[in-house]
Amino acid sequence: MNGQTVGRPIEILLVEDNPGDVRLTVEALKDGKVYNNLHVVKDGMEATAFLHREGKYEDAPHPDLILLDLNLPKKDGHEVLTEIKEDPMLKHIPVVVLTGSESEEDILKTYNLRANCYITKPIDLEHFIMVVKSIEDFWLTIVKLPSEGRNGR
Amino acid sequence: MKDIDKTKEQLIDELAEMRLRIAELEAGKTELKQSEELFRILFHSSPIGIYIAQDGRFRFLGHQFARITGYNEDELIGISSLNLVLPEDRNAVRENAVKMLKGERSSGYEFRIITKRAETKWVMETVAPVFYQRRRATLGNLVDITERKQTEKELKQIMAEMTCSNTELEQFAHVVSHDLQEPLRMVSSYTQLLARRYHGKLDGDADEFIAYAVDGANRMQVLLSDLLDYSRVGTRGKPFKVIYCEDVFDQAMANMKLAIEESGAVVSHDPLPIIMADEGQLVQLFQNLIGNAVKFRNQEPPRIHVSAEKRRNEWVFSVRDNGIGIDPQHAQSIFEIFRRLHAREEYPGTGMGLAICKKIVERHGGQIWVQSQSGEGSTFYFIIRATEGESP
Repeated sequence: MNGQTVGRPIEILLVEDNPGDVRLTVEALKDGKVYNNLHVVKDGMEATAFLHREGKYEDAPHPDLILLDLNLPKKDGHEVLTEIKEDPMLKHIPVVVLTGSESEEDILKTYNLRANCYITKPIDLEHFIMVVKSIEDFWLTIVKLPSEGRNGR
Repeated sequence: MKDIDKTKEQLIDELAEMRLRIAELEAGKTELKQSEELFRILFHSSPIGIYIAQDGRFRFLGHQFARITGYNEDELIGISSLNLVLPEDRNAVRENAVKMLKGERSSGYEFRIITKRAETKWVMETVAPVFYQRRRATLGNLVDITERKQTEKELKQIMAEMTCSNTELEQFAHVVSHDLQEPLRMVSSYTQLLARRYHGKLDGDADEFIAYAVDGANRMQVLLSDLLDYSRVGTRGKPFKVIYCEDVFDQAMANMKLAIEESGAVVSHDPLPIIMADEGQLVQLFQNLIGNAVKFRNQEPPRIHVSAEKRRNEWVFSVRDNGIGIDPQHAQSIFEIFRRLHAREEYPGTGMGLAICKKIVERHGGQIWVQSQSGEGSTFYFIIRATEGESP
């Protein structure tokens, strides 16, 4: 433990249009050992608004981690990913692409867009919970992230 | 006197000589008549439409030519031979005929003609330079190939339709299995979540219902993923390259290490060849066949032997086991998708393994079959084409 559990909660942004997947992620994070705030947006436009604190997201926190679905309405995950990685204010935020697609083209494309990792949503609940917990462990307790943006609120 | 005698003798000789010549000429005349008769018979009785043309106009026609075109001989004599040809084919016909007359082309050429009844017919023609009535002429042979052309066209259409429906079928299988995964993941995740959170907290019925729902969703998931694998044999295949079947065997064995160790199976093999194939698919093929041999075993530990024998230009691979065997009446149907011969409790699996094997082998232009008797082990055979200049 590196002290995060007792300090400020970790801000996670989940970009996901399927309420079923949102709830599953919520359930999986419930058992997690990291104290977190999960924010959910349902499409790419909302994600952009959240990250730039536009409109109703004026008071949105700066996320410590982004979980991004690829298959999104309005603006798809690839576009959102490109925007994040091209923005000097946002590009340090780790992005985990979490998707139902197993297509090799998708995987290669997202890595080329500098996604930090690509995870196929496991069909099995136990696996799903395990995956979400591993993301939590790896990105929020093992990896040391730059502190910039953490005090952005 | 002496000179006169000599002349007389000479005259007699010459007369004899002349008689001989006349007799020869007479004979020649008869022969000529006979050969002219033969020529006429040939011309008219031949199943090929024959004509002679001079300066591009019909001079002489066989009966079959009249039959193909629908015209009488009188109607065509003196007419330009190109008049019968479909206007858009005329240039090609002229070019090909000239080439053939010059000896620059030996095979017949195909084009369309218009018959007297205004039908279009496909014909194939050959021409040769001849002399007719002491003048240069063209001898033409015409075969009616309309029926063949029609059959060819239908065959092409059927082939195109089949390729189309095959591709469609593959796409369909891919889309179905891929797109169904998403909602299924919801069903399966949430029934699992129910089981996880409420097991033992509701009543006995609820636990049982949830268990069946979880089991059904799990099985559906395996079926879909197998269907996806099956469709990927066609859609995700890699180009063929030179592969060492010994390596393929080793790879398949490594992938099945656990199952082989657990069953105590002994897997042996003869030297295996180098062939042109999709390596990933060959590994899967070996793995499925050896895997089946391990799975459908008797009480005794499985003994499995892999070998390859060269027959002419192909390799016949075989995977022999001492397992439970297969009733010969199922020898064909076991290669169909989702075909199972046993209850799931006896031997698990979706029944997709051999269907995938068959599709892989067929993608390599080969065949797969089995020889077996119930209780006496099975030998699966498959054929893969041999490459040139390979080692055994």
